[in-house]
Amino acid sequence: MSAASPTARRGLATRAVLYAILALFAIVYLMPLYVMLTTSFKTLEEIHQGNMLALPGQWTLDPWREAWGSACIGLECNGVHGYFFNSIKIVVPAVLISGLLGAFNGYVLTKWKFRGHKIVFGLMLFSCFIPFQIILLPMARVLGILHLANSTGGLVLVHIVYGIGFTTLFFRNFYASFPDELVRAAQLDGAGFFTIFFRILLPASVPIIVVTIIWQFTNVWNDFLFGVSFASGDSAPITVALNNLVNSSTGVKAYNVNMAAAMVAAVPTLIVYILAGKYFLRGLMSGSVKG
Amino acid sequence: MSFLHINNVHKRFGETHVLKGIDIAIEQGDFLVLVGPSGCGKSTLLNMIAGLDSISEGELLLDGRCINDVHPSRRDIAMVFQSYALYPSMTVAGNIGFGLEMRKVPRKQRREAVDRVAKLLQIENLLDRKPGQLSGGQRQRVAMGRALVRDPQLFLFDEPLSNLDAKLRVDMRTEIKQLHQRLGTTIVYVTHDQIEAMTLASRIAVMRGGELQQLGTPQAVYDDPNNLFVAGFMGSPSMNLIKARIVEQGGLPVAQVATDDSTLTLPVVRDRDALRDWCDRDVILGLRPEAITDPASANHGEGNIHEAELPVALVEPTGADLYVVTTLGGTHVNARMRPGTPLRSGERTRFAFDVSRMVVFDPDSEQRIRDERTAETTPLEETA
Repeated sequence: MSAASPTARRGLATRAVLYAILALFAIVYLMPLYVMLTTSFKTLEEIHQGNMLALPGQWTLDPWREAWGSACIGLECNGVHGYFFNSIKIVVPAVLISGLLGAFNGYVLTKWKFRGHKIVFGLMLFSCFIPFQIILLPMARVLGILHLANSTGGLVLVHIVYGIGFTTLFFRNFYASFPDELVRAAQLDGAGFFTIFFRILLPASVPIIVVTIIWQFTNVWNDFLFGVSFASGDSAPITVALNNLVNSSTGVKAYNVNMAAAMVAAVPTLIVYILAGKYFLRGLMSGSVKG
Repeated sequence: MSFLHINNVHKRFGETHVLKGIDIAIEQGDFLVLVGPSGCGKSTLLNMIAGLDSISEGELLLDGRCINDVHPSRRDIAMVFQSYALYPSMTVAGNIGFGLEMRKVPRKQRREAVDRVAKLLQIENLLDRKPGQLSGGQRQRVAMGRALVRDPQLFLFDEPLSNLDAKLRVDMRTEIKQLHQRLGTTIVYVTHDQIEAMTLASRIAVMRGGELQQLGTPQAVYDDPNNLFVAGFMGSPSMNLIKARIVEQGGLPVAQVATDDSTLTLPVVRDRDALRDWCDRDVILGLRPEAITDPASANHGEGNIHEAELPVALVEPTGADLYVVTTLGGTHVNARMRPGTPLRSGERTRFAFDVSRMVVFDPDSEQRIRDERTAETTPLEETA
């Protein structure tokens, strides 16, 4: 005991310092979230008293109700709920379609190689490095020609096109390490192109599907630039609505309502991370992925 | 008409000529083993039979039907892959039944077929598991079950035992052989392991560099090799290849071999006519270790024994045998003697050479020198 104690004590000290530093970083990172949350449960009078870090003296849900249902955005005072569902309507098809197309691309680029498959993949990869701003004008023109300007459908198309590069990259790299012999075995068993994809590859792709969903969901949900450029007015996504809410309030700024609305806009991505992250880990742990 | 006929088949990948005209014909119920070092084209040939690689030139006939352009799933062929290639997301039953499902066999019939095969392979208790939960040997069985359940005309095995540990490999080898004898199926089997080839095959095709070196029964390939490559590749420990000179003695050709301190003269029994033309020329003698023994364990009945006293360079006991090394023609030569023979390196002992098993090779072309009429195996096809 006595011989081991100095090293044990030193180990404990190191550990304490380590945890102290980690705790400090955690506090710094969580501070904005804390302020947002507490502010959204305070009354305006309490906010005006100025103590930003204090817990609400009197808890109230009114700011949340107002943000959801009656806050004024532009001229209409219906809250953000309509825009919240706009975002859902954009995100769900955009994530599913771009994910599925990416999976197909990855499948073809690794298991059904054709002449020039490397060039095609290179171009796909290149699209990941194109900044949003560059494609705004050409995309506006394309949406105009397709009669999709200012619509949810148009925004879905934009996000699918922009997402394919990333989803293809994810799935191609995942399927590159997927054994070719499985595809050959399935061919001998009499399975065709689509059967092999849906029965053999896709069920074994849970980890990469989760990665793709997290990535695409976060990107599309948090997008502001495409939303504000291609879908103004009633079809705007929640990020745009939040911006308009904060900017259009006349007179006194309702910080508590703004914070509640911001939380509403942030919650879905948080939920996706928490839920999908769990599945992601489970997929890795079960060992069901490797054949 | 043979059952599987590989007729002058070529394979080219761009500039590289991978298979240079392979001719093999086997009968129904044959167990053909394609054996050779890695890169010899044996797996490519197997993939071409399966339909997973296209045929650049030549013809592939199965039961009289040309299957060059038939889709893999319609060739009536099943294949066991090196990595087993089990579908990771399906249960064992799902894996075995997948081929039947794709062929639209009704669920009830499918279930019966899966059960029958599972019983045959003794994997009934594993049917509901996923491949990830199985051991290497169990996966191997499932992979075989997947091939067996379809009851195809031809089975292809691509190095199926190479991922198993040594003991399991021997067990599975025995099982595959038993399965073949019980079911009487036709099998084409690829391996780089010459012992697997010897134990399993009814016909062996030795390949090197995209060319067929020899096709024959295991015994023929072992005892009567076509060239130096086959002689050296088949058998473990491998055949002793000894530099020698043919001279005429009493009207008959004999082989003279340099020992450490003198010259050993071995009479020639096989291929005597062909060797008459080789007098006063250098050759390479091939003698299996078991054809060089101590006098007491020599095969005096059938063999033609020639004894000589030679120095012992090294003694290697393996338990079952005692390998005694001496130097002949400048190289180490392995002799297989009775275990327990009290020998030490540096001593001299009597070696018994069974010259009836001696084969002779041309050192330049590396081909066998043999009489026309003793060619028991298919001669090598020269196509290059």
